Amino acid sequence: MTGKVLVFEPERCVGCRICEQWCSITHYGEISPSLSCITITRDHALQRDNGIICRQCPDAPCIESCKFDALTRDQSTGAILVDADKCVGCRMCIRACPHGAPKMHPTEKRVIICDLCGGSPACVAHCPEQAIQYLEIHKTERPYRSAVHNSQKGGAGRED
Amino acid sequence: MSGITGKILRVDLAALTACTVPTPVEAMQKFAGGRGLGAHFLWKEVDPGSDPLGPQNRLIFMTGPLTGTLMPGSNKVNVTFKSPLTGTYSYSLCGGHWGPELKFAGYDGLIIEGQSSEPVYIWIDDDAVEIRPADFLWGKSIPETEGLIKEDVGGDGQVHAAVIGPAGENLNRMACITADWYREFGRGGCGAVMGSKKLKGIALRGTGSIKVHDPEALMAHAEKLYGFLKEHPKLRDRRNFGTAELVEGINGNGLLGTRNFTGNCFQDAWRLAGPKMREDIVVGDASCYGCPVACGKRSLVRSEKYGEVLVEGPEFETIALLGANCGVSDWDALLKATWICDSTGMDTMNAGGCVALAMECYEKGIITKDDTGGIDLRFGNGEALVAVLRMMATREGIGNILADGIRPAAEHFGVPELGIHSKGQGFAAYDPRGAKGMALTYATSPKGAHHMVATTFGGEIAAGNRLSIEGKGELQRTHQFSMAIVDSLLLCSTMRPGIGLKDMALGYTLVTGRTMTDGELQRIAERVVNLERMYNVRMGYSRAQDTLPERILREGTPGGPSQGSTVDLDSMLDQFYRVMGWDENGIPTREKLDELGLLEE
Repeated sequence: MTGKVLVFEPERCVGCRICEQWCSITHYGEISPSLSCITITRDHALQRDNGIICRQCPDAPCIESCKFDALTRDQSTGAILVDADKCVGCRMCIRACPHGAPKMHPTEKRVIICDLCGGSPACVAHCPEQAIQYLEIHKTERPYRSAVHNSQKGGAGRED
Repeated sequence: MSGITGKILRVDLAALTACTVPTPVEAMQKFAGGRGLGAHFLWKEVDPGSDPLGPQNRLIFMTGPLTGTLMPGSNKVNVTFKSPLTGTYSYSLCGGHWGPELKFAGYDGLIIEGQSSEPVYIWIDDDAVEIRPADFLWGKSIPETEGLIKEDVGGDGQVHAAVIGPAGENLNRMACITADWYREFGRGGCGAVMGSKKLKGIALRGTGSIKVHDPEALMAHAEKLYGFLKEHPKLRDRRNFGTAELVEGINGNGLLGTRNFTGNCFQDAWRLAGPKMREDIVVGDASCYGCPVACGKRSLVRSEKYGEVLVEGPEFETIALLGANCGVSDWDALLKATWICDSTGMDTMNAGGCVALAMECYEKGIITKDDTGGIDLRFGNGEALVAVLRMMATREGIGNILADGIRPAAEHFGVPELGIHSKGQGFAAYDPRGAKGMALTYATSPKGAHHMVATTFGGEIAAGNRLSIEGKGELQRTHQFSMAIVDSLLLCSTMRPGIGLKDMALGYTLVTGRTMTDGELQRIAERVVNLERMYNVRMGYSRAQDTLPERILREGTPGGPSQGSTVDLDSMLDQFYRVMGWDENGIPTREKLDELGLLEE
C-alpha cells in the first residue's frame, strides 16, 4: 500500500469543478457531475467553495457498514473499491460515511466511490489551484498547518 | 451529433404546460448554438412588431455544443429576446454554473413563451418539469428567492437557480436575470421580460451526462489549452485582479467614461485600479464551471455607513459605470451600490449610466432636490448613488423615471442629448472618442451600445492607432465575428487570448464528431451577425439608427490623453457597411443573404 490519501484544502478551491469533469471523463468517457466521485459545493452567502471527497479512512466505516461484501480496500493504493456485481444499492455506506463521499450511480443500482484512479488521481493532476493533493498520510496535516499559519499571519493587527 | 442532448424544453406560461422538442440539428450546424441558434429562433418565432413586455415575446435560452464539456470556459448560456430597453433584437450571456446544469438536466435549450396571470417558477429536475406557484417569492430579493426556491424543492445544495429580483418584477427595463446569486444575464432587460411573464425563477437539477465524440483526444486538447491559458500574461492579470485589471489601461489611454461621459480620464481612477482592489477589498477568487482562469473576485468591505458588504466582483464595467461615470471612487459606496444592483437584479452598467445622467442634470439645475426627493445628487456622492439605485429597483420617486432606462429618462428631463446611449442601451465603460473602433461597436450593434459585440479597444491601444479611423471598418468586422463565434459555440470571451480559432474548431470537432474549420466558424459568425441585423431591419431600422450621442460626435473632452477627439461616425459606417457587403443604408444585400443561406430563414 502506498499509504497516500487525498487532501482537500477549501481555502485554495475556486469552485471551477475541473476536478469533477476529469473524474467522470476518465472513468466513464462522459462529463457528468453525478458520475464524479468528487463533488464541489458553493455557499453563495459565505462565498466559499468546498470539496466533498473520499478520505480513505484507515478504518473505513463504509466497508464496515456493507452487508454484501461489496466494498474492499485496494491493497496497492488504499482506495475503497466497489464490486458492482455485489453492490445492491442499499445506500448503507452512504449513511455510514461521515464525509458524504459515496454516491448513488445516477442510472445503476450501485454506489460509486473514489478509486484513486489506481494511484494517480485525475482530480489532483488537473486541479489548477492545487486544492486537492495526494499525500502520504503522515504528511496530510501539513497543508492545514500552513493554512492556519497563513491566516494567523494575515490576521495580525486586524480586529476580530 | 455528439456533445448535445438533442432536446429543447418548451414552456408555455399562458397554458402552464411544458413539452420537449428535438433540437434542430440542421439549424445547429448553421448557427452553432447559443447566440446563433437564439437568433434563428427569435427570427422565426417573435414577430419584430411584438411588444417586448407582451405575451408574444419569448425568452430563448440556448446552450452550445461546447457548453459543459472539457473545453476550458465552456460554461456560458445565452438568452435571446426582444429588448424592453432598446425595443430591438437583443441577447445576453451568463457564465457560472447554470448553463452546464441545463445541459446535465438533458436540454440544449429552454424556450419560454406566453404570460402567466399569477407568479410562478419553473422547477426542472431532469425529465420532471413543474410550473409551481411563486406568490411566496414575489417581492423577494435575489438571495432570498434562491434560498426559498431551494427549500421548496427539497433543500438540495446542488440546485442551480436563475431568478429575477424586485427590479424584474417592477418591469425596470434594465433588470437582469441572475443565476446563482452573482452571475447575470445582464444587458437589455431580459429580467423585465421575465417579470412581464410573472416568472420568478427557473431552478435546475441535472443528473445526466454530456457524451463527447472523442474523449481521449478532447482530454489531450484541454490539457494543451490549460497550458496556453496559464501562460498568457493577460490572463494572469485577469486572475489576479479580475476584469478590474483594465482600469489603469482604459483610464490611462483616455477611454474611461467619466461623469456621464463629460470626460474620459478619471482623476481618482488609481483608487479603483486592479492591484489596489486586490490589496484593499479582495478576499477570494471564484471560478465559473470548467474554467482554469478564475477571474471572479470576492470582495468585502466593513463600512461604517453600510455595514459588512460582500459581493462577487466588482467587475470592471461596474467599477467604471457606477464608479467613474458617477464620479464615485470609494469602495464602501461602490460595493454597496453593486450589492443593491445584485440583490434587486439590475444591470450595474445601465444603472450607472442612468444615475450619471441624473447627476449631470442635477448639477446643471435641470432637476432639483424637489425631483430627487431631497437627495443631493452631485457627482461623487456615493450615498446619493446608493439611495437612487434603491429607488430605481422599486420605482419610487425619481427612481421610477430612471427605471425606464437612459433614453426615456433623458427625454423626460427634456435633455435627450445628455442621454449617453445607442438605441437606448447605455454605453459600456469605453468612450469611443478614445478608441474610434468602439464607435462602430456601439452604433452598429444590434442591441445598442454594448462593448461585448466587438471589443476593438484592446487591439487599437496595442496598435497605437486608437484615435485614427483608418481600417476600423475591417477591424470591427473581425471583432464582431470573433465575438459571434465564442457566443455561439459558447466559450467565455475571456478565453480568446489563450484559445485561437483553430483550437476552438478542433474542440468542436472532438466534441461533436462533425469536422469544423476556422473558416467555417467565420462563416457561421457572418451568418449570425447578418440575421441579427435583419431582425432590426425588419423593424424598419437602418443607417439612421446606427448613431451615437451628439456629445461623442461633436464635443471633444477638455483634457486627458484623448483631449479634443471627436468621432467621424459617417466615414466609419461607410467603411463598415462596405466590408460587410451591406448597402449604403446598412442593409444586407440580397446577394449577401443568399450567399450565407439566410434567404430560406
